[in-house]
Amino acid sequence: MKTKIKSVLTLLFMLAMQFGVAQSGNISGMVTDQNGVPLPGVNIVVEGTTNGTQSDFDGKYSISGDIGQSLLFSYIGQKAERRTIGTEKIINVQMQEDSQALEEVVVTAQGITREKKSLGYAVSSVGAEDLESRADGDVARVLMGKASGVSITSAGGMSGSATNVVIRGLSSFSGSNQALFVVDGVPFSSDTNSAGNFLDGNTGSSRFLDLDPNNIANIEILKGLAAATLYGTQGKNGVILITTKAGASGGGKKKTEITVNTSYFVNEFASKPDIQQQYGNGFDQAFGWFYSNWGPSFDKDGLAGWGAQPSIDENGTLAHPYSTTAIAATRNAFPELQNARYDWKPYDSLGDFFQSGDIKNTSVNINGASEDGDTNYNVNVGYLDDDSFVPGNALQRFNISVGGRSKLSNKFTISASMNYARTDYLSPPVAASRGNGSLGLSLFGNVFFTPVSVDLMGLPYENPITGGSVYYRNGNDIINPRWTLNNVKNSQLTNRFFWNAQLTYDINDNLNATYRGGMDFYNERNVNYANRGGVSFNRAIFGALDTYDNNNTIWDHYVAINGNYDLSEKIGMSFTAGATTRSTTFDQMGTASTGQIVFDVQRHFNFANQLPIQFTNRQNIAGVLSQVTFDYDNMLYVTGSTRTDWVSNLTSENNSQSYPSASISFLPTTAFDGIKSQEGLNFLKLRTGIGQSATFPAGYPTVSIVEQNTQVAGDDGGIVTNQVAGFKANPNLKPELISEIEFGFESKSFNNRLSLDFTYFNRTTKDLIVREPLSPSTGFTFTQNNVGKIEGDGIEIDAAFDWFKAQKRDDFNWNTRINFSTYNPVVTEQEQDIIIYAGSSSLFIGGNAAIKGQPLGAMVGTAVGRDVDGNFLVNDGGDYVVVEQDLNGNIPIIGDPNPDYQMNLINSISYKNFSFGFQINHISGGDMMSSTIATLLGRGLITETLDRENTFILPGINQTSGLPNNQQINNSTYYFNNVLFGPAELKVYDASVIRLQELSLAYNFPAKYLDKTPFGALSITAQGFNLYYNAYNMPKGANFDPNVQGAGIGNSQGFDFINGPSSRRFGLSLKATF
Amino acid sequence: MKKIFKYITVVLLAGGFFNSCETTEMNLRVSPNDLAANQADPNLLLNSIQLAYVSNMTTISNLGGQLTRIDYMSGRNYFNNYPGDTFNSIWSRTYSSAFNSEGSSDPSVGIWTNIEALKEIDEASDIDYSFHIAVGQTLKAHMLLLLVDYLGGAVLSQAGNPDEFPAPLLDEGQAVYAGALALLDEAAALFAKNPQATGVSDFFYGGDSTKWIKLVNSIKLKAHVTTGNLAAFNAIIAQGNFIANNEDDFQFQYGIRELQPDTRHPDYADDYTPSGANIYQSNWLMENMLLKNDPRIRYYFYRQVNGTPGALDANGVPVDPSEEELACSLAQAPLHYVDGGYSYCSVNSGYWGRSHGNNEGTPPDGFQRTASGVYPAGGRFDDSSFGNVGLGVGGGGAGIAPIILASYIDFWRAELAPEAQKAEFLRAGLTKSIAKVQSFGSLDSSADFTVAPKAAEVTNFIDSQVTAFNAASGDTKENILAENYFITLYGGATEAYNYYRRTGYPTTLSPNWELNPGAFPRTFLYPQNEVITNSNLTQKMNNSQQVFWDTNPAGPAFPSAN
Repeated sequence: MKTKIKSVLTLLFMLAMQFGVAQSGNISGMVTDQNGVPLPGVNIVVEGTTNGTQSDFDGKYSISGDIGQSLLFSYIGQKAERRTIGTEKIINVQMQEDSQALEEVVVTAQGITREKKSLGYAVSSVGAEDLESRADGDVARVLMGKASGVSITSAGGMSGSATNVVIRGLSSFSGSNQALFVVDGVPFSSDTNSAGNFLDGNTGSSRFLDLDPNNIANIEILKGLAAATLYGTQGKNGVILITTKAGASGGGKKKTEITVNTSYFVNEFASKPDIQQQYGNGFDQAFGWFYSNWGPSFDKDGLAGWGAQPSIDENGTLAHPYSTTAIAATRNAFPELQNARYDWKPYDSLGDFFQSGDIKNTSVNINGASEDGDTNYNVNVGYLDDDSFVPGNALQRFNISVGGRSKLSNKFTISASMNYARTDYLSPPVAASRGNGSLGLSLFGNVFFTPVSVDLMGLPYENPITGGSVYYRNGNDIINPRWTLNNVKNSQLTNRFFWNAQLTYDINDNLNATYRGGMDFYNERNVNYANRGGVSFNRAIFGALDTYDNNNTIWDHYVAINGNYDLSEKIGMSFTAGATTRSTTFDQMGTASTGQIVFDVQRHFNFANQLPIQFTNRQNIAGVLSQVTFDYDNMLYVTGSTRTDWVSNLTSENNSQSYPSASISFLPTTAFDGIKSQEGLNFLKLRTGIGQSATFPAGYPTVSIVEQNTQVAGDDGGIVTNQVAGFKANPNLKPELISEIEFGFESKSFNNRLSLDFTYFNRTTKDLIVREPLSPSTGFTFTQNNVGKIEGDGIEIDAAFDWFKAQKRDDFNWNTRINFSTYNPVVTEQEQDIIIYAGSSSLFIGGNAAIKGQPLGAMVGTAVGRDVDGNFLVNDGGDYVVVEQDLNGNIPIIGDPNPDYQMNLINSISYKNFSFGFQINHISGGDMMSSTIATLLGRGLITETLDRENTFILPGINQTSGLPNNQQINNSTYYFNNVLFGPAELKVYDASVIRLQELSLAYNFPAKYLDKTPFGALSITAQGFNLYYNAYNMPKGANFDPNVQGAGIGNSQGFDFINGPSSRRFGLSLKATF
Repeated sequence: MKKIFKYITVVLLAGGFFNSCETTEMNLRVSPNDLAANQADPNLLLNSIQLAYVSNMTTISNLGGQLTRIDYMSGRNYFNNYPGDTFNSIWSRTYSSAFNSEGSSDPSVGIWTNIEALKEIDEASDIDYSFHIAVGQTLKAHMLLLLVDYLGGAVLSQAGNPDEFPAPLLDEGQAVYAGALALLDEAAALFAKNPQATGVSDFFYGGDSTKWIKLVNSIKLKAHVTTGNLAAFNAIIAQGNFIANNEDDFQFQYGIRELQPDTRHPDYADDYTPSGANIYQSNWLMENMLLKNDPRIRYYFYRQVNGTPGALDANGVPVDPSEEELACSLAQAPLHYVDGGYSYCSVNSGYWGRSHGNNEGTPPDGFQRTASGVYPAGGRFDDSSFGNVGLGVGGGGAGIAPIILASYIDFWRAELAPEAQKAEFLRAGLTKSIAKVQSFGSLDSSADFTVAPKAAEVTNFIDSQVTAFNAASGDTKENILAENYFITLYGGATEAYNYYRRTGYPTTLSPNWELNPGAFPRTFLYPQNEVITNSNLTQKMNNSQQVFWDTNPAGPAFPSAN
């Protein structure tokens, strides 16, 4: 790799020689702001000519011009400055902040750019500097903690695993709550197509993984409905508006610039539990080749000492498990082990199983413009090679994107960008595990409960004759995770192409027409296989191979007319009226084979049975939209918009929905000059917005079906079944309606040192489209129906404070940003007792439910039985009584996964050429049912279980006698019978976590060192991600990271099923500009 | 540069406009992934009905077997062992659909809605589908009877009509029994016309209506023996048109295919794996057969070892207890076991199973514990070779799910017959059962049959049971009949639970490991999936509710074992 980087750099040096020849000019100088800090990127043009340039990284510029001509310096937020060229060769300019310096321009829905001060709703912006050179190739994970109200949860710590992106919490429980990604104006599929469900295996990446964060110019997050109305139904979960560098249209003339970003990160296992080193495999301090670790001590003497064990000899060794196994094939395959002894000692299986991974990331960006500045272009190439700390998990991605914009002489402006991404994702199988094997074929379940005295890495895992799995258990009844690693693989290779083109025609100075077209096509080639020779799971016993392609195509068209008129001196008006169509076709096709014939050959011809994999889903959405904004004297802005959508999968009576929205922005600091002062309040904006949106159902819910299945029975496999579906079609299904009102203010004060952005919002979803379970005795088990209502409100605060504001470039500068969000959704109407909409309806596994009067997402599961006074009930064995309903006959609620609040603290400090930054993330509250913790406890693995030679009495009331419990039990009985295999309630913990999300130290090479080099700028940054976390209300020894989406991407919350450990990343990145 | 952009954009725009007609199509309501409702094939609907019925029968048989110690029950507390979702899938398959539990392929199958679809198709078509409907109604009727037996009631009059009855009321047990008998009459009338069964995959009787009529009458016998309606029972017996010979036995035949579909007997699929057996056999049943020297024991069970820790091996030599392989072999039996003289943990001669309620974790004993034998699972014949289970070993899984066998009906007749004739039916039942079980030996072609019971031994056994029965009186006499009935029901134990609640025999069942396991369930909880969706149904708070025909005292006075 080193040589690769070297050759890339050499090539770039050579390129730089070609492009980087700076224009020889006779005028040069430096542009600074009012504080004397150099301003890069200032546009400098010789007025009346096409000759122009931009100031560089250090504020320096040079330009050629004749005496008498004037130079115009312009920069957003600064007053334009003019200088006439005289005889001096050096013109230094200090620019002054415009009184309206806060007039940032942001991109809003449908690509309409507006001044930020005119918006009546909250938006958050994230710039390229927060996105570049990250250790994570997943743009969603990079966004973690960067803006209030945005909640990002990963499916686990594996590289390339799926990510959940939810803005302002859940508003629906059957429909998707995933935010809409819009890239360069065109909706972008962010699907997660998992191979199965969370129970039987759900590896699969989320498709925003195809974006290279290094190629993003900026991200705007539209959180509320008032902001997203113009996106119609698709925008109902909030919108993440991404402008790629290819799509960013920086006007003006500039020289060709090449930027190279290259990074190297180490990827490590962050959540290693603190395994006790005192006791080994067994039960009741007696040795046995069990799953559990409640066996004798590693000390010879004492009550629990191994000295008392008949199977452990004088030297502390056991007969080798492969000599005592019941499997003759294993004994025969390892003749050398038949008289071998096996050391009774602790092994670091968990530590040795995981490896140290690394991440290499390089991206090259070239941009430039034509001589006249009317045409500019951008090319970005990126390569990411992420080798996980989880063996068998890797991610490689290649991106190329080309885009540009051209202003034609005939009033047309054309812009287009094209992106290609190739993402190769490899993963071992991951399925839910509960500490007793796993529910589907899975790697982590079996790794995490390896007993301390089992030498996972030292025992052979494969029978050298048959290739089958071998392991320490006498009956070979659990699959060796190392065998799984080598013989069971899931891969997903994605080729994705997305383009967009936009054509704008200036009808006159006030009016233009825009057409935008986009296509987003991806092909996911999935190859999932298991060799034969495993145990426990049919897939592994007999071998299986699934190969299938997911082809997803989105066509998106948008036409609009935009106008901008001054109605009077003080009243302005702008409007947009347009129409849009979107067509999505998901087409899955492939073959599923079972019964491998020759070991380790993964081609369909080598399998006995085949079934087709085929699934198609098509949906069209058409919409018309309009928006009009009036502004009064730059201090009051009123916006109204409306959109109507039609969808193709509902009956014509119900297939359309209109939703209006309105927002007001008022600037008291402009209206009443008196309240404004330099040392006091500098800026204040009050805003309010109201918006609506709708959710349309997915699939084909209005038409009855009959299911047909082949190969159901018969020794020739010839029995086919037809079955009237348990799904009851509902032709009356209509869209669900979400409405939201928000209030907020933005302020700047104390010399613009403190900025504060506050939002309160209140959201109601009614006519919820619910996968409603029906009484089976009606003939149907479920339907889709409009049932129920969710109401919720929340607060979002973004604050920033400059402790030290540099007066000069090298001065000390310290800025702190805080963002805070909270949201509490409550189910307020619900016709049925309970709808378990995520997770499992098997209560010992647990699920999320909608129950009237309860927080949305309430976790339900088996609970500890209670008497009428609320005391825990204990049975005659001394264990807690497990119940599936409380005393009122209701299904027990065992937790609320909604956090009390989420908060991020971001600090950036710079001094001279160094800059230092860190981000701390705090999630307070929210419950999680953790199978990882339950397993580590129940199997006697972590330090919390050390105190095990005494007996305990569970506090509670004996179920039969009604008297206080006095039955003594072992520590192992408590953890094994009660925590691990008792009521699900006992696995629930408060998932509060504090995390050092990011830490970085950067050094910018001073310009004087770079003078003689081809570099325009060079910086080196050391960064670490997830360096520390503490889930402080969970057992310490488990070192569990609650940032996990255990029941799959979607609407589940608060579950962990040993889905994979968490990762820590740190390394160096280099950024160079030529 | 400008030109390139222009050309590219013009091409893309043109492409976009061509494409835009497709994107505005607003009627895409029909799923391409399934058949439309009017495309169903009657023969294939009947397949779903039959498979749903078999899935239900095997599930119910396991539940009935567990409670009556024919099969092993894990867990010390009855109420916790059988939570509200126990009957979820059985209920759904009866009225709507749920996964097919037979084999590894698990598409949805169901009974009620498919029968309704068959009726609609029959009405609209010139072709006569009355065979299909008659089969469907017969199976449905049997299902309804069993739902009443196990739950206390079922939905009948308001079922399958979601628009009118979105929350159907439960019908009383008695009304459902009457309704089911009416359905059987309806089915019998259709079968009597000997309807066409062309193209039908009849999993039971190959399209033979005369055999189906015998089944219909036998199901009626089941209803009458359960409710104790002697007159009705005798009336059917008098007609003589019921399952009286093994060749008319109502059973589901399994195959040997392992994958796609897995057609093997489910117990075989569980027990004959590369990592050993997964089912624990019931210690009570094995010990009872061992003591009786029942000739069927080598067919029912396959011993992988010749001795169980803590008991005598096949040669009468004591085997050391083993904490690792059988933890309870070291434990002191609790008083309620000691007092009754029951085996708490281990049975002699290598029969390695578990006692009722044992809730220990799973030790590495997959190649020690006793596996399902050649009857009815299609496994290995126990020829004292003490070999191991494994994929494809023995009969390959080509066993049966016994549902209503001729031998069962003999035991029903024994129950209702006058005192003097009971022994005759006990003999007939044992004779038929043993003959059938022995015929399964041939499935395991590699077994050594020199140790198989000889005809004389079988006769001696039957004679000994009949003699003992005749010599005994009171509970002892009833116990002999009941124990033999339960042994006969191995593999198809649905009626054992009914018999036990009806008669309280045998009183010799081993107790639960737990002294206070809660009340013995007199019915199961209502299916949770119905309770949470049906506003007219409230879940029971315990298992004590008795079925209408269960007129015995409430627990814990009845039945005798805890």
